[in-house]
Amino acid sequence: GVFAHLEMLEARAHEAAVKQEETERQEEKLAGLKARVQELRRQRDELRAKVDLQQKGQLGQEGVVSDPAQPSARAVLERKIKSLKAMLQVFYLTGISGKLTKRGVCFCISTAYEGIYLDSYYLDLLTKSEVQIHRHSIPIFIPLEQIAKKYLQTDIRRFLSVLSDHLNAYVGRRYQADQLQERFSDQIEGILQRNSLCNLLVFNYDVSSKSKTFPFNARLLYGDLCCSLPTQATVSCAPDAPASLAEMAAAHSDLFRRVALHKAFGSFSSAEESVD
Amino acid sequence: MDNSICQVYEDEIQSLEEEIKLLAEKYEDSQQESTFFSDELLMSTKSFQREFQGGSKGHESPSDLKAQLENLETDLSFLMKFTGIQFTSHSKKTVEQTRNRTVRKHRLSGNCHSLSFQLEFQLLEMQKKENVSAVITDLSIIMESGEDSDVSKFVSSTEEHRNLLTFFRSLSSYAEWYEHRRCTFLHFK
Repeated sequence: GVFAHLEMLEARAHEAAVKQEETERQEEKLAGLKARVQELRRQRDELRAKVDLQQKGQLGQEGVVSDPAQPSARAVLERKIKSLKAMLQVFYLTGISGKLTKRGVCFCISTAYEGIYLDSYYLDLLTKSEVQIHRHSIPIFIPLEQIAKKYLQTDIRRFLSVLSDHLNAYVGRRYQADQLQERFSDQIEGILQRNSLCNLLVFNYDVSSKSKTFPFNARLLYGDLCCSLPTQATVSCAPDAPASLAEMAAAHSDLFRRVALHKAFGSFSSAEESVD
Repeated sequence: MDNSICQVYEDEIQSLEEEIKLLAEKYEDSQQESTFFSDELLMSTKSFQREFQGGSKGHESPSDLKAQLENLETDLSFLMKFTGIQFTSHSKKTVEQTRNRTVRKHRLSGNCHSLSFQLEFQLLEMQKKENVSAVITDLSIIMESGEDSDVSKFVSSTEEHRNLLTFFRSLSSYAEWYEHRRCTFLHFK
């Protein structure tokens, strides 16, 4: 009886202690949060004041409110660094940027298709004696060695330019194929077949005419690796299909050679809408 | 009971952090030269991350900062010499900013060898998981030699497709060729 009673008292005391700890922890947490809120409010108000003054044109370039006549040397340095970094980032948008390294240069080739920036690739060059490629992130299906053999030693600019053309065309082709799969999947029958270089695409698609759908097959060959439009577009329909469809196939073949793939498909949909 | 108070604080913390971010952006915008877009864009290829990050953020000594500045200056002057592209002015204005989207209007002018250009473009940046994507949503180009019909055709096609990158790549090749031609003519005069 006594021991059981003691045990019970112990258990209760333990419970109370745990609860006490829990409450203290909660209170600490709350206090911490409260302090953070106050700190953030302070920062926010400070910034608001700065921005207000700035709008009224009262802040100097460095924006130090406390002592407008003397921006710290550190702040000047930091501002200069920021603006130079911004300039380097503009170079990124131009397609060729880079950074000098101890033994040469590391170039960054950026790619874009119709204003959309896609992958960027790196080329670490050693320039001590003859120019050598130290490391790179160029995909294996891009003929880097061929291009390097032709231009790397004699004209680095040309080398980068040609490489950039290949890479930009590749991402452009890939983007079009991706867009076709994403946005027009309901018109594509089966899988869109493509190779890594995205210069050979084979797919089946549906064409609606007079409320009936007909299967077409397209085979697009991009013979020019620096181009994102196909050099050959073979579009075929079923042999027993009406003549009007054969005409349409020819028209599609022509379209695919002139217009981006996803845009061509976009024009089909709108054409059908206007016909029906 | 306590949990709800915690939640209220946490919510306020989040909204304050966002507000601070927005205010800081606004402040930076109005300074003459400001950061273009987030460093994350350059960090998107993980293996070369360190190569391209201009030093760590935080508190470095003035001599570290000076060294960093010198490195950046050397890199920039190398790029300008190598590509022939020199930027003479650059300004930007934030047109829209939400949690994941920033739209900025940029004004850029410069020359490539002897050809001058002036650009205005709108850049949309979106935060997507680990990457920041960048899209040109509007582009207008003024070229000094705009009377040349080839040039104006090229410019309007580039503007239509918002091909800023193609513009610079082509400009670079064209300017080099133009320069060669100019030098050749001078040689024969």
